[in-house]
Amino acid sequence: MSPLTGAGRRGLTRSARFWREFRARPSGPAGAAILLAAVLVALLTPLLTDPAGLDVTRATGPRMGPPSLEHPLGTDESGRSVLLMITWGSRVSLLIGFMSALLSMVIGTTVGIAAGHFRGWPAAVLMRITDWFLVLPSLVLALVLAAILGGGMFTIILAIGVTSWASTARLIRAQTLAVEARPYIERARALGGGHWHVMTRHVLPNVAPLVLANTTLQVAGAIVAESTLAFLGAQSGQVSWGGMLRASYDWGAATSGAWWYVLAPGLCIVAVVMAFTLVGRALEAVLNPRLRGAGR
Amino acid sequence: MTRVGVLLAACGLAVSVGLSALSFPAAADDTAPAVAAREPAAAKKIVRLGVTQSMDSMSPFLALRLVSTSIHRWTYGNLTVPDPQTLRPSPDLAESWETSADKLTWTFKVRDAKWSDGQPVTAHDAAWTFNKMMTDDGAKTANGSAVENFETVTATDDRTLVIKTKKPQASMLENPAPIVPRHVWQQVTDVGAFQNETYPVVGSGPYVAVEHRKDAYVKLRANPNYWRGAPKIDELHVIFYENPEAANAGLKRGDIDWIGRLAAAQFEALAGDPAIVQWNTQGRRASYLQLNPGAATADGEAIGDGHPALRDPRVRQAIHHAIDKKTLVEQTQNGLAQVADGSIVPPLYSEFFWRAQGEEQVTFDTAEANRILDEAGYRRGDDGIRTMPDGGRRFEMRFSIHTDTPVEDKLAQFLTGWLKEIGIELTTRRLDSNKFTEETGSTGLYDIAISGWSVNPDPEEVLATHLCSRRPTASGQAGGTESFYCDDEFERLYQEQLSELDRAERAEIIKRMQRRLYTDAPVIALYYPNNLEGYRKDRIAAITPVPLDKGILYGGSGYWPAYTLQAVAAPAVPAGGSGGTGVTVAVVAGAVLVLGAGGFLLLRRRRATADERE
Repeated sequence: MSPLTGAGRRGLTRSARFWREFRARPSGPAGAAILLAAVLVALLTPLLTDPAGLDVTRATGPRMGPPSLEHPLGTDESGRSVLLMITWGSRVSLLIGFMSALLSMVIGTTVGIAAGHFRGWPAAVLMRITDWFLVLPSLVLALVLAAILGGGMFTIILAIGVTSWASTARLIRAQTLAVEARPYIERARALGGGHWHVMTRHVLPNVAPLVLANTTLQVAGAIVAESTLAFLGAQSGQVSWGGMLRASYDWGAATSGAWWYVLAPGLCIVAVVMAFTLVGRALEAVLNPRLRGAGR
Repeated sequence: MTRVGVLLAACGLAVSVGLSALSFPAAADDTAPAVAAREPAAAKKIVRLGVTQSMDSMSPFLALRLVSTSIHRWTYGNLTVPDPQTLRPSPDLAESWETSADKLTWTFKVRDAKWSDGQPVTAHDAAWTFNKMMTDDGAKTANGSAVENFETVTATDDRTLVIKTKKPQASMLENPAPIVPRHVWQQVTDVGAFQNETYPVVGSGPYVAVEHRKDAYVKLRANPNYWRGAPKIDELHVIFYENPEAANAGLKRGDIDWIGRLAAAQFEALAGDPAIVQWNTQGRRASYLQLNPGAATADGEAIGDGHPALRDPRVRQAIHHAIDKKTLVEQTQNGLAQVADGSIVPPLYSEFFWRAQGEEQVTFDTAEANRILDEAGYRRGDDGIRTMPDGGRRFEMRFSIHTDTPVEDKLAQFLTGWLKEIGIELTTRRLDSNKFTEETGSTGLYDIAISGWSVNPDPEEVLATHLCSRRPTASGQAGGTESFYCDDEFERLYQEQLSELDRAERAEIIKRMQRRLYTDAPVIALYYPNNLEGYRKDRIAAITPVPLDKGILYGGSGYWPAYTLQAVAAPAVPAGGSGGTGVTVAVVAGAVLVLGAGGFLLLRRRRATADERE
């Protein structure tokens, strides 16, 4: 007899199938590789470099110096190494991206499942709130929130998370409705399963893959949102990619020909956002039953 | 966000950031409200001044902004005007004056001049203006404080104006209030609400305001009745821009001929253009830090939440030692400022400027700062941050700056680094300007804040901003304090200079006041930004600065630069010619971009629907 139980075997074959399907689209692993690299950089930076280099009073380089051996990506307006700022900035940008996507997913999933499960007026109220958030210009709302709550990383996370959950809620609600129409839900109800039981034991596991895929895409959106907010002046107070773009604009990097100062953070944002999007799309295609097998 | 959306957004961000920088002058041009200015100045001699403010009011009783007070200075006469050579008061509408022996009565002889509508200017006009400000609260908004000390103002005949004051007033000859025509303003029922928008506006200055379009421009025409003789140009247009970059681009394109009060970066961007004169002189502004010395109301009741350590002058002086002003000038002002080795009066006013010398001078010396703090008993904790002597509150302080000010942001970065060296942890607070004014001016919710003041030829007002009485009232109404400072010695000196009519003596007292501010450090002057301006020499033939040698053109005191403007006879290049190609390139690039993005989107759509069809 195999040492694996039935459930374990099923899990193994499922993850094996998942990996096979994920790998079948080259864009997925490519995005994952970029992401892995970015996360590694973010995690290793504090071990390998000294944050003192971010202190303008200790900067030694020339102002807006071009790339050189000492400063591979040139220097900023205060003589700090752009490479050092990029690596430390990745921590902030990724952290804000992950945390606000997480926040947005928690709100979106909760509202979505609740709106799909409870019919009648609670669902109507929840969906009207969702619609309200959906039609609000989220960037403006996030800017206002960040301005009211004052600067800081937590504020930015909150501002992005609170303004970006509406589409997720709609998506999850639709999936919840589909799941709840299945006969086994009815059976669970007949056996005495309460609301909480049905929602957590039956609906949540079934919408979870969709949540995962959507979160990945959400991270990409959140990183762009963070950069946009930072560029518009709502900064977290720490070096981030969006903040670097802002500073390069403020100090006229483009007019003085300091391309390295504009391009480096810009390309980093594009690469990471692209990677998240690729991975998210691949995950979605594998995990979303409606898209499964499509678009090979 | 949809999948396509995210992808597009990412590309869009990268492209827009790149493009906005590259096509910058053309993009900025769209926001320029300079349509009015582009009409060819063929026959008339027109000079166009660009400013990044718009008028708050055309009424001299209500206007507070620099652009408004400047325009009023060019369209109305005052009693006196600063001499362009010495900056001392010289005759304007008042031909001459004398004071009584008790220093309380001033008698002015009013000049025989004409209003722009042909009526004679009399002492009755001046008396009416001052009496209106003394009796009508609605007329006090702009210059009410200038008549606070007036007992009575009377015109004994058409040419003689007598002002009696409650106490001696040394700054009498620097009165900033424009004299308005009584025959026009008598008919106004509510001065506090009257916007003075009937054109042409009757005035007695070198120019007459003939047109104002809100947030767009004000047109001024030369006043042929002006008592010094009409200006040498026909019209002076003041064009309002939303942001300095747009105004700068306007100057390069030739939409405007003259621009003042530039920031260092914009000033440097003008380099290399052969048609533009870069005007870099001493400025009238001082930039300084406010250190909350224990905020209180005018009644002495403590308010706000300033750090208790800052009440100790030794801590404030240690912070002064920790700041490298030279680096700040280089890094935040691109070297276009003077290191402040004095207090709040800039060296432009050589008569009143006080310079710290010898022992007294606070130099950049971190070791000295640490020694002072150690000696005062503020010990460092394990993390290197000091605490109060009782071991209680840590030296965690806030630095309040404005939002969207790169220079202040950079300043905050440096300050954070330097203060860390002396065991103070600084966090930056970015506040919009209303909240900033409230927290640093009336509620006292700050530790350290950035501030600055553009000083007039008579420094009385800037000194007054550090008086006890300028602190907010018990009900929280702001009184205009710049530091919440309240010091007996400073108060005594202020009263002394008020009644000292001997100019040299008074200057000495004013210097002692600055010395007190320097050593007690409720404010720490960082630098005196240069006055940076630019004008097109293919349009402006001559202009007189104040003071005459390397002085200020726009935003100074008096009307000399505007009055002495001389235009180049024929406009050299039709406006907008140089920028044409830039715009075309940008438009083509924009079109390509839009088409490309559209195609991309369409392609994606197709593919997406194909996906979904399955």
